[in-house]
Amino acid sequence: MAIAWSALVLLCLLMYVLLDGYDLGIGIGTLFERNAEHRREMLEQVAVAWDGNETWLVLLGVSLWAGFPLAFGTILPQAYLALIVMLFALIVRGVAVEMASQAPPSPGWERAFAVASLIAALAQGVAVATLAENLAVAHGAFSGSAFGALSWFSVLAALTVAGVYLTLGYAYLKLKTAGELRAAAGHRGALAAVGAGALVAASLGAINATDAPLNLHTAVRAIGFSGLLIFAAAGVVMTLTTLRPTSPHDVLPFAGSAITVVALLAAIVVARAPIIAPPSLTVTDTVAPSLTMDFLAVGIGLNMPLILFYSWFAQHSFRGKPAAAERRDTTTATGAHHGHH
Amino acid sequence: MSLLDLSQWQFAITVMFHMTFPAITVGLSILLCVLYGMHWKTGNPVYLQMFRFWRRIFAVGFAIGVVAGIVLVFQFGLNWGPFAAKTGPIMGPILGMEVVTAFAVEAGFIGILLYGDGRVKRHTMFIATVMVAIGTLLSSSWIIANNSWMQTPAGFKVVNGRYEPTDWAQVILNPSFLYRWPHMVLAVLISASFFVAGIGAYYLVKGRALPFARRTVSIGLGVAAILLPVQIFVGDHVAGAVLPHQLSKLEALEGNWDSTNTGFVLFAIPDQQAQANSAQLSIPCLGSAINKDLTCHTAIPGLDLTPKQDRPSMAPVFWGFRAMFYAALWMWGIVFYATVLRFRRKLWSATRFHRFLRWATPAGIIAILGGWVTAETGRQPWVVFGHLRTSAAVSHLAPAETLFSVIGFTLLYLAMLVGYIVYIVRTLRIGPERDHPQQETHPTSSPGTAHTATAETTAPVGGEV
Repeated sequence: MAIAWSALVLLCLLMYVLLDGYDLGIGIGTLFERNAEHRREMLEQVAVAWDGNETWLVLLGVSLWAGFPLAFGTILPQAYLALIVMLFALIVRGVAVEMASQAPPSPGWERAFAVASLIAALAQGVAVATLAENLAVAHGAFSGSAFGALSWFSVLAALTVAGVYLTLGYAYLKLKTAGELRAAAGHRGALAAVGAGALVAASLGAINATDAPLNLHTAVRAIGFSGLLIFAAAGVVMTLTTLRPTSPHDVLPFAGSAITVVALLAAIVVARAPIIAPPSLTVTDTVAPSLTMDFLAVGIGLNMPLILFYSWFAQHSFRGKPAAAERRDTTTATGAHHGHH
Repeated sequence: MSLLDLSQWQFAITVMFHMTFPAITVGLSILLCVLYGMHWKTGNPVYLQMFRFWRRIFAVGFAIGVVAGIVLVFQFGLNWGPFAAKTGPIMGPILGMEVVTAFAVEAGFIGILLYGDGRVKRHTMFIATVMVAIGTLLSSSWIIANNSWMQTPAGFKVVNGRYEPTDWAQVILNPSFLYRWPHMVLAVLISASFFVAGIGAYYLVKGRALPFARRTVSIGLGVAAILLPVQIFVGDHVAGAVLPHQLSKLEALEGNWDSTNTGFVLFAIPDQQAQANSAQLSIPCLGSAINKDLTCHTAIPGLDLTPKQDRPSMAPVFWGFRAMFYAALWMWGIVFYATVLRFRRKLWSATRFHRFLRWATPAGIIAILGGWVTAETGRQPWVVFGHLRTSAAVSHLAPAETLFSVIGFTLLYLAMLVGYIVYIVRTLRIGPERDHPQQETHPTSSPGTAHTATAETTAPVGGEV
């Protein structure tokens, strides 16, 4: 049960990184976008989806709490400052998106949206990096210090997460937009992908210098880990070759980045399982009692397909490329039909 | 201030701020669903106008409610780590059910509700409004189940300091849940009714958009007139059902330190140090009468019946309850008078009443916040009543870290609250005129944005039903 539930927690993490990853990435991308109309269009892409995407963050938190209460109650205090800053940023961002899209034009809220997206991504990187530092637990409670988990690795992890999100954001934009914005997303996305690839490689290289070195001591782990890294590299190549604006493939860049993210996460799991936090907090140490796990399996497990369906349905309802140009066309057409314009 | 005080203040600030928004949006989500359905069925453009106008208010309020809700989930682990670790086997799955059956549903359909006008089919739009409304209602059910377990815990055993479930039916249907749940659902519906009626009254006073304003006020006051009497009955039963389990809360909310007062305390300034009220005003014999003794001999139990180390702080419990109680009386007076006016067909000419009604816009929100202050501060010094002390539930953080987050949340939330109020005021000033389907021949405000553009394209379609 502990293994099955950790798979579900990882699924939530993965969905969150892919989905909120792209919308945080688009937010970061608006920092580099000079064209106000393009910025607006990028914001609209986020407005229809951020709320559903952040559901996965809540689900991640709750499934960790319910399934592994001790892990939830000790890891979060260790990452306190980073997570608080992340929450501040997510609040500002959520409100800014709605304010900017309900009461346009609002350059102030657009700016807040962009900066908050960047801060949220960086803070998530710092928070994840705390999992590479020894966790001090005494009598079932966190007993470490406030800045104990901050290090040079936190900086590296923060930049890596921001880079990966930015790449996902551009890949998604190429999928969902047309014309100039699509071209710009392709150009900048390729740059972001190169940068993110380098940062990921640096992080993986540096991880052995932290308190949580990779465990590749058995053949299964070593082979699994390297096999998954090959997949990750293939994903990077796929993203890079299809992001160019001249490439007609609009789905493949996002698919390629997604393959990379999935493979990387799986590789880290292969090299770390069953430890959640160093030195020795494992999934079996922290798993909830069996009656809780039964309830979770039925109540939440059975709902997962529905949630995946909602996510699909929401994306499906806004499928295609709602390009600004197209929308103006329809407005004009209907307007003409009713005798004005 | 100790680490415990800081974490408690942070919880109070974040939870009260969050609660303000569901207090508006749960009811509004049902209103939106009804309005869209009515528009679809009757084709009356005023319903589409109302739908679009209230959606503007709803959209931003919902977003703030969502992000402020994410904070609460993480805060359990961040600031209350030992609590999360000990009660996780019970609290975690219930909150998980809230996320999968409600939060995810809302999140999946909110995008369509807010931005789907003209981009999706009309029945998809309607389904989205229904699903969002169901989501908000389910959400409140699970949250109340969770909180009620902390008030009247049942169906568990303690193993190595950890609270493990033994019977889920008892955990969820714990003694106070069945009373507190309808109490809360009614509360959010009533608060939204007053919110809507108060804003409608603003347009009556201004003499603007009268068909819109009258229908809005009529719906708001009508719903409140039906639900308020039910709520007063349910509220009385909440007191009857919860308080035998939590005598200390009853003692604190009545405002007596000893058990000799047969009156009902209207006003008091409790002094926790002196264990006495430094000022007090009470109605003689009313306390006895509430306990069904008209002879003025039954005294109300005082806080002296609870051992000193188990006493809650009286002031917030007493004043939280008074805020709820007085706001309820205020609202009851308004709907009573409004119903009389309606039967005498004077509701639309009673201009002084319209002016007064505007001030009642936040009445329900005040009552809800007061009720939660009573429920939560009255449970102290326990986090799980009678079992786990709040002081044993707080994370060992550096005080500076907690101070940073308390200050951060305070500033951020104040800014958000001001931002939301400014947004509402600006939306009110612009008014519902732009949302009328016939109005899009003069696209006045905010041209060139995707939403306005799409909203305009759908309007003629909507009008043809």
